[in-house]
Amino acid sequence: MIRLFLDIKDLSVDLEEFHLQNINLQIEEGDYQVLIGPTGSGKSVLLETIAGFYKPYHGKILLEGKNITSLNPEDRGISIVYQDYVLFPHMNVFENIAYGLKKKNNGNESSLESSVYEMAEKLKIDHLLKRDTRTLSGGEMQRTAIARSLIVEPKLLLMDEPFSAVDVNTHAHLTTLIKNVIEEYQTTCIHVTHDFNDVYNLAERVAVMKDGKILQQGTLHDVFSRPSDNFVAKFVGVHNVFQGEIIGHDKSILKIKINHDIIIHSSDVFEHYSSKKTDVMVAIRPESIIFSNEPFISSVRNQLKGVVRDMFEVGHTVWIEVQVGDVTFRGVLTPNSCESLGIKIGKEIYLSFKSLNVNLMEYHNDDYST
Amino acid sequence: MKSKMEISFISIAIFFTLILFLAVGSLFIIPSFQGFIDSILSEEMIGAFKLTVYTAAISSVLVMLVAIPTAYSLSRYSFPLKTIIKSILDLPMAFPEIVLGLALLMLFGNNVLGGFLEKFGIQIVFTVTGIIVAQFFVAFPFAVRILYSTFNYIDTRYEFVSRSLGYSEFETFYSVTLPLSKDGIFASGVVTIARCIGAFIAVLFLAGGTYMKTETLPITLYLNLSFGNFDMALSAGIVLVIISFIAIAVLEKYGKEKAL
Repeated sequence: MIRLFLDIKDLSVDLEEFHLQNINLQIEEGDYQVLIGPTGSGKSVLLETIAGFYKPYHGKILLEGKNITSLNPEDRGISIVYQDYVLFPHMNVFENIAYGLKKKNNGNESSLESSVYEMAEKLKIDHLLKRDTRTLSGGEMQRTAIARSLIVEPKLLLMDEPFSAVDVNTHAHLTTLIKNVIEEYQTTCIHVTHDFNDVYNLAERVAVMKDGKILQQGTLHDVFSRPSDNFVAKFVGVHNVFQGEIIGHDKSILKIKINHDIIIHSSDVFEHYSSKKTDVMVAIRPESIIFSNEPFISSVRNQLKGVVRDMFEVGHTVWIEVQVGDVTFRGVLTPNSCESLGIKIGKEIYLSFKSLNVNLMEYHNDDYST
Repeated sequence: MKSKMEISFISIAIFFTLILFLAVGSLFIIPSFQGFIDSILSEEMIGAFKLTVYTAAISSVLVMLVAIPTAYSLSRYSFPLKTIIKSILDLPMAFPEIVLGLALLMLFGNNVLGGFLEKFGIQIVFTVTGIIVAQFFVAFPFAVRILYSTFNYIDTRYEFVSRSLGYSEFETFYSVTLPLSKDGIFASGVVTIARCIGAFIAVLFLAGGTYMKTETLPITLYLNLSFGNFDMALSAGIVLVIISFIAIAVLEKYGKEKAL
């Protein structure tokens, strides 16, 4: 049996104006766990509760099997890095990095300098050690903050939107650098972010939070391909979420009717399905939809004919809205593909997607939206 | 071109500041130079100066020692009666010092706490200790108010980070919170010293303002003004103004350093 590295059980925190409710989160050693969710969903409060700054009124936190729920922050071996660095302004870069190590070494300064230098070198800030922290760039400040946290070799590193205050180029560079250093130190991480690039580049596991609760957690693939409910689906970019009804099955393929006359097929496992008609929510990622001017014969189970209602550019992609009956499907293409297919508003077009890419979620009354 | 509003507001600022400056400046014009020298070298003035510095030094240190934990607890912790305690601490800033003086006299007189303290040989009323107690309570609310704002201004996440790096609550307070509050502590210290030195009515009520015994500089000014001894009264005023100027100059210097 694998022993969990961090095991949060039924954790509830009351901060008067905000509550964390029945949080359950399990992380194995060396995992890179990413927490996502809208602003105010409780991601930062959860991090600070794990670090020991807030006391839960219910539940417990086990780290390496040891109950740390009532331990002081300084006795937990958990470091935290914030979005806006929180470097001590009365100390220079060296002193900031050395701060925790000085305490850990119990005042023994013999190896302090070499350890700080070594860590600063890894994070490419060794030339800045004597600098006042207020003169550093955003990227340099964040590297200093991460060096300060990693040098004490924490059991768990918590990062609260660590890259969101730096520019795009620095962000990309920092992500690679930090990933390499964290892998080298084999540090278990929980990383809060709003940036899906961070999620794709760094996450091994993802948890989605809303209103102080974890709605879904799992591998990156699980959460992004098989969202558990309408909110998670929308949040992780599954723009095609429909209410449907399972009307039958053909071996392992379920037949689903959406909006009276559209029938689609799904190979998803839906445990609530019995032989009776069952309400269900259907989720299809926009990237899973293939566009074509003519129907084609293939293993693809779902092929629908529709009319292009709208198209708009987002970054380097073109989003296309296609009306099929009363239902609008959203897909995404590159501008080149769009041009070669001659897609324009009002054009008839075929949509194809595999039954494998039709994910089913439990139906909730308040979930319905198209 | 300056707007009418700009010109009017600047004129008001200049006019009333000028009157205040003339009022303070007139202290330096009226006494004769010889009279001023004689006054400041008089036994009474030297005694009052020494007593003022001595009592203000002790009361200021006591104020800071008590105000720092008080302000920190009000800023950081939740506890019962916190709002009431905050309001009580703000009260002396709102009501006249004469009321504070009377209240302290009632508390430390024979009726309430004074009787109890006297059993242990501690006399407050009409003693030098009374001066320190009066100065303490005059300055304490101001010090707490400045320090409270200072601690509130410091992001608690500095403390969170420090604790996550292995430092206990007190170690964090000592190595992170206090250094980050040094400007506020300094400003609070300067205001405390100025308030302690300038405390008058509360000192008069509690310590009695006895000639050459419990006579601080503000009392010297008051007693000599009552006797019609203008040279002494004005000289005491000048010494107090000089002390205030020094306090302001130090504060200004701190302000400039902070701006850098």
